Amino acid sequence: MMKTPRMLAALVATALFAIAGCGGGGDDSGGTPKAEKATQAKASGNVTWCIGKDTTGAFGTVVDNFNKANPKAKVKLLELPESADDQRRLEIQRLRAKSSECDVLGMDVIWTAEYAAQGWLKDVSDYISQNGDKFIKSTVDTTNYQGKNWAVPFNSNAGFIFYRTDQVQSAPKDWESLYKDAADNNGIVYQGFRYEGLTVDFLELLYSKGGSIVSDDGKKATANSQEVKDVLKFMADGIKDGAAPKAVTTYKEEEARRAFESGNATFMRNWPYAYALDKKSKIGSKFDIATFPGFSGQSGAGVLGGYNLGISAFSKNPSGSLAFIEFATKPDQQQIMATEASLPPVTSATYDSAAVKKAMPFAAELKTAIEQAKPRPVSPVYPQISEAVYNNVYDALQGKASPDEAASKMNDEIQKALETF
Amino acid sequence: MEAATARLGRGKRRKKDKSYGSEERRLAALLLSPAMVVIALVAAYPIGYAVWLSLTEYSLRVPGKWRFAGFDNYTQAFGDSDFWAAVKNTFIFTGISVTLELAIGLGMALAMHAAFKGRGLLRTVVLVPWAVLTVVSAITWRTLFEPNLGLAPTVLGKLGIAENVVWLGQSGYAMAVMVLADVWKTAPFMALLLLAGLQVIPDDVYDAAKVDGATAWQRFRRITLPLLMPAILVALIFRTLDALRIFDLPFVLTGGTNGTSTLSLIAQQQLTTNNLIGYGSALAVLTFVIVMAVSFIYIRTVGGNIKSLAEDT
Repeated sequence: MMKTPRMLAALVATALFAIAGCGGGGDDSGGTPKAEKATQAKASGNVTWCIGKDTTGAFGTVVDNFNKANPKAKVKLLELPESADDQRRLEIQRLRAKSSECDVLGMDVIWTAEYAAQGWLKDVSDYISQNGDKFIKSTVDTTNYQGKNWAVPFNSNAGFIFYRTDQVQSAPKDWESLYKDAADNNGIVYQGFRYEGLTVDFLELLYSKGGSIVSDDGKKATANSQEVKDVLKFMADGIKDGAAPKAVTTYKEEEARRAFESGNATFMRNWPYAYALDKKSKIGSKFDIATFPGFSGQSGAGVLGGYNLGISAFSKNPSGSLAFIEFATKPDQQQIMATEASLPPVTSATYDSAAVKKAMPFAAELKTAIEQAKPRPVSPVYPQISEAVYNNVYDALQGKASPDEAASKMNDEIQKALETF
Repeated sequence: MEAATARLGRGKRRKKDKSYGSEERRLAALLLSPAMVVIALVAAYPIGYAVWLSLTEYSLRVPGKWRFAGFDNYTQAFGDSDFWAAVKNTFIFTGISVTLELAIGLGMALAMHAAFKGRGLLRTVVLVPWAVLTVVSAITWRTLFEPNLGLAPTVLGKLGIAENVVWLGQSGYAMAVMVLADVWKTAPFMALLLLAGLQVIPDDVYDAAKVDGATAWQRFRRITLPLLMPAILVALIFRTLDALRIFDLPFVLTGGTNGTSTLSLIAQQQLTTNNLIGYGSALAVLTFVIVMAVSFIYIRTVGGNIKSLAEDT
């Protein structure tokens, strides 16, 4: 195996891009997850916090608060791009190069297992076992990989059904009647584009049918099931019968929000961030939100979103990093995040505060939704699993594959992804 | 007279040339060597490294996994329907967009070449689309074609054209938007290159043709086109190679859905999203080989045509 060209890898990647229109090269880190622990929190030294763009300024506020309270320590915020895919790409580039630039990493909950498996994170099991009861349990579950905790929950998320109160009397009691009401009115919009959002929307339906795509031990694909086929058929028929417009296959969160706000949809599946924006639109007084229904006879289920904070295995200041994480996940700082950035807190207590209830009038429903939400499969190959899901769901929505074909292909691709690890 | 002297002195001078030339050449090589080292580092080395990576099974999904795989990645690519779909889409896109750009660009160049008031202003204005970043213009086009709210489907729908079409969500239509966005952006570039070619054609050739009674069409067909051929070739090569490597438009407009995935796009997805360094590199190398092959064919066939055209005139 070649060793010498390693140093040039970064340079090479840039040049490669120019030549064939793509980037590559890099470094393999090697080995199984390291069990190096970060247990001591000591607020001193420099800490760099890498996380997605601070669009509302709330991250900056938390950093300032920490620096004011801890004169011996200095936290610096390093903003990554707004898109989650770009954040992951830039973090992985740094981690591959064993860069110590980022001490604290803001990670989407679905990357945590991947980072842990690569040996890029410090083990924070001790911290979680001492402080875990502060957090909503489902959010702590997303930090667990192979029996250890590799991150601390930072913010959470769960989707909602938004519905027009001037078109339907109340939130439908199950998915079947929701789709029927949608077909009779102006339809439901959701995230039907071929990307992570479609995986989430699909899993929300599948979970409420009691189905799964990966076995509990994370070793076997379980997507070639009747539940998966039923949900695929339900979604594809929804488009065919006019319950959802054909255009949903081009929608991400923002497109769905714009369609709903323009008055072109009766229902919308979206994240809580859309609430405040919808309130300011022309339909502001004509909608309400509800937690997900189930399929007839079953209870509704959401899919957990949000971000965790982990400590880079290459950090030169793990104790300072842990001190900052401890600070940022305290209820008072969580409240700032909720009121300033509409980021759902991970600490149960925060939902009861008056300020949070004022900023998020749906705080109680949100807490319930997060408590009931299930995580997406925890796996180091999650990105490939998700790709298998959204590619095949998309084909089924477009009518390019029958539900049976899509389910069987999804299963094969998930199995293949699991076997590569 | 001159030719005769040259012939006479040839034998003697050649010897002299050789010794003189080799010294010159040595100096030239010496002066060029720093540049060569830089090119080797930033061009040859990465290409070589990409080729090397493409022969390995190297994935960042699995820590420490590495093995020499020979041509396994290439076999996998040739057996992958996604690869062939990308090849097909890339060539369809290149064929249609470059043809349209040439036709429109030529029209624009001829219009801008004519003398009229405000010509300088027009030449500047025409270049605006070219100056806009592709990603920015792609986002604009995506917004224009957004279902329900976009300007294009609304206006077309009112006119009864393509009603109930989800432009970026249906095969064929998505490709049409991609071609449109590319033509809008790069036809001015084509026009500029062709305009430069037009300007070097001397006026007296046209004057002579007019005296001989040639019609406007004959002048275009017999004078403009042949003399413009070298400029057209350069413009075609530029645009074709760019179009074959198209990445930003499908990335922003459709994410490669609905028959718009291109070679560069799938290589990028395998490399950076899926972290399959070996397989992604193989796709990148295949893209490179295809681009090289096309430019080679171009120069061979069109280059030959130019020579024969030049001899005819």
